[in-house]
Amino acid sequence: MGIKGLTKLLADNAPKAMKEQKFESFFGRKIAIDASMSIYQFLIVVGRSGAEMLTNEAGEVTSHLQGMFSRTIRLLESGLKPVYVFDGKPPDLKKQELSKRFTKRADASEDLAEAMESGNKEDIEKFSKRTVKVTKQHNDDCKRLLRLMGVPVVEAPSEAEAQCASLCKSGKVYAVASEDMDSLTFGAPRFLRHLMDPSSRKIPVMEFEVAKVLEELNLTMDQFIDLCILSGCDYCDSIRGIGGLTALKLIRQHSSIENILENINKERYQIPDDWPYQEARRLFKEPLVFKEEEQLEIKWTAPDEEGLITFLVNENGFNSDRVTKAIEKIKAAKNKSSQGRLESFFKPAANPSAPAPTKRKESKCVLRTFKPAIQHKMSSVHLFNWSRPMVNGNLSLPIIDLASKHSVPLSRGVSFGA
Amino acid sequence: MLELRLVQGSLLKKVLEAIKDLVNDANFDCSSTGFSLQAMDSSHVALVALLLRSEGFEHYRCDRNISMGMNLNNMSKMLKCAGNDDIITIKADDGSDTVTFMFESPTQDKIADFEMKLMDIDSEHLGIPEAEYHAIVRMPSSEFARICKDLSSIGDTVVISVSKEGVKFSTRGDIGTANIVCRQNTTVDKPEEATVIEMNEPVSLTFALRYMNSFTKATPLSSSVTISLSNELPVVVEYKIAEMGYIRFYLAPKIEEDEDETKPQV
Repeated sequence: MGIKGLTKLLADNAPKAMKEQKFESFFGRKIAIDASMSIYQFLIVVGRSGAEMLTNEAGEVTSHLQGMFSRTIRLLESGLKPVYVFDGKPPDLKKQELSKRFTKRADASEDLAEAMESGNKEDIEKFSKRTVKVTKQHNDDCKRLLRLMGVPVVEAPSEAEAQCASLCKSGKVYAVASEDMDSLTFGAPRFLRHLMDPSSRKIPVMEFEVAKVLEELNLTMDQFIDLCILSGCDYCDSIRGIGGLTALKLIRQHSSIENILENINKERYQIPDDWPYQEARRLFKEPLVFKEEEQLEIKWTAPDEEGLITFLVNENGFNSDRVTKAIEKIKAAKNKSSQGRLESFFKPAANPSAPAPTKRKESKCVLRTFKPAIQHKMSSVHLFNWSRPMVNGNLSLPIIDLASKHSVPLSRGVSFGA
Repeated sequence: MLELRLVQGSLLKKVLEAIKDLVNDANFDCSSTGFSLQAMDSSHVALVALLLRSEGFEHYRCDRNISMGMNLNNMSKMLKCAGNDDIITIKADDGSDTVTFMFESPTQDKIADFEMKLMDIDSEHLGIPEAEYHAIVRMPSSEFARICKDLSSIGDTVVISVSKEGVKFSTRGDIGTANIVCRQNTTVDKPEEATVIEMNEPVSLTFALRYMNSFTKATPLSSSVTISLSNELPVVVEYKIAEMGYIRFYLAPKIEEDEDETKPQV
């Protein structure tokens, strides 16, 4: 799934592009979540032991509902605004990959049956994980659940990751959450991993910024896409013997797959006969997504209490007390006023701190000149010169004039107080 | 070469206690004018700005501007090893990746050197624009700390409103509500015990008490605190550090959820 070895490649070669963040620090942010990936995770993790799954009375699996319900509430309680994006029709190129997965699953099912017969617990665990498949029913259940919870659902025309990336590019959401590194290749400006991991695992959210990835790797977006294709993606085979690191070297040297193909030692590396790298590239660059204007409005609404109870308690055998409590939580989370961020008031200024130790030596701090200026201004002008007339004069007109005259032309860095 | 000698060493200890819970790692910037720091908490809701002017040091030598990334918890651990009346000297060589804190006992019979590794911190620096505040409240810092502590046992947010009546701090929680009003009071023995309210326009803003409580860790630094409020701006909570500078905390207000009219994400 995703791009082979990209996480490690980035950790080694672009460490600054990855930042660990606290889950809570995403409050107030709209986040597009790759739903299929999450459902898959829930099916594996939630309430499963061996081949046994969490089911309702009718024997239908409910792990995904349980997972989706509790995890989404956790997101809402932390003030996040999730948008779930579901996969549409897979692109033709992915069919090969999908059929591979299908065979793997079939193999795993056989292995599982064998393991169950022999009673080997480790094997049962291992193979039953591999047999997990997200069906259309699972998807539909989750969509219904989310709509009842008042959480927006987007049905992507094709790949969910691509749609997530496009939502993020157009600024409709702050970041994309997935476990699939594809999101970066699709150009999602901000990409979060481990957002949907169970809180008990205490894994910090890993934030990737594509701009920083490119900067650190010193590649253009096109080159990065080529790098991902060479490393191995869902859409076409990779060249045997070329992994992430070699791919990075080659791209840096030759800048595109075409040039690499011309210059590469064909004896050593066997290029697949039918290698649709151009189409793969096109899929990454121009994936099938909703155009900006077609994109539905994304809205968070109040939960449908009765609907949730009918669906979860009556149809799927959830504990009614728990569901009622959970609904209370959703409502409470909705009513909370959201915390503002300093960035919406203050704009980033040139960073005075020299980042690297080498730079520390000749640390030239651009801001040094302006920082004290502001500091003086704030204290001396405001609190002292200023405050007196404000109080005594009880806000007579000339004072206001004085204020606007001074404060308006004052962009940062200009000092009149100092 | 950097050498800053601070006779009142306890001051630096207090500064660290005031900010280390809010910020994990930060760059201390040294220039010829002073020793300063600007850092945000991890969720970018609060910002601390510290300034210790060069004049406040007994000896201040800073040949060139340098920026030293420190883990504040570690720094605090080291400073805790200094006695309260010790003289603290901060030393760093150009290009070095360590900083040294030297503690001298007042009688000069004990000298301790603590060397700490520096770190590279990639921090965002915010330009804080000139602003005029609608209301400025100056009150005893212990009083403010008490109010924040009391209110946080009832609710998680405080509404600070300034009107002609005075400044009102209110909260609401599961068990009930609380309102504390402080009126202007300048008829006191010591000027730092006064409560002075300067109002240009009435304001009312909501803040997370968690942060306010963290700001009040600076209370030992100053007997009075200044709270500047404007309806469109983060609040500034300032503690003056006698003869040296200040420590200022900025906190973004809570915003009432207007039906999906969120500002462009930054």
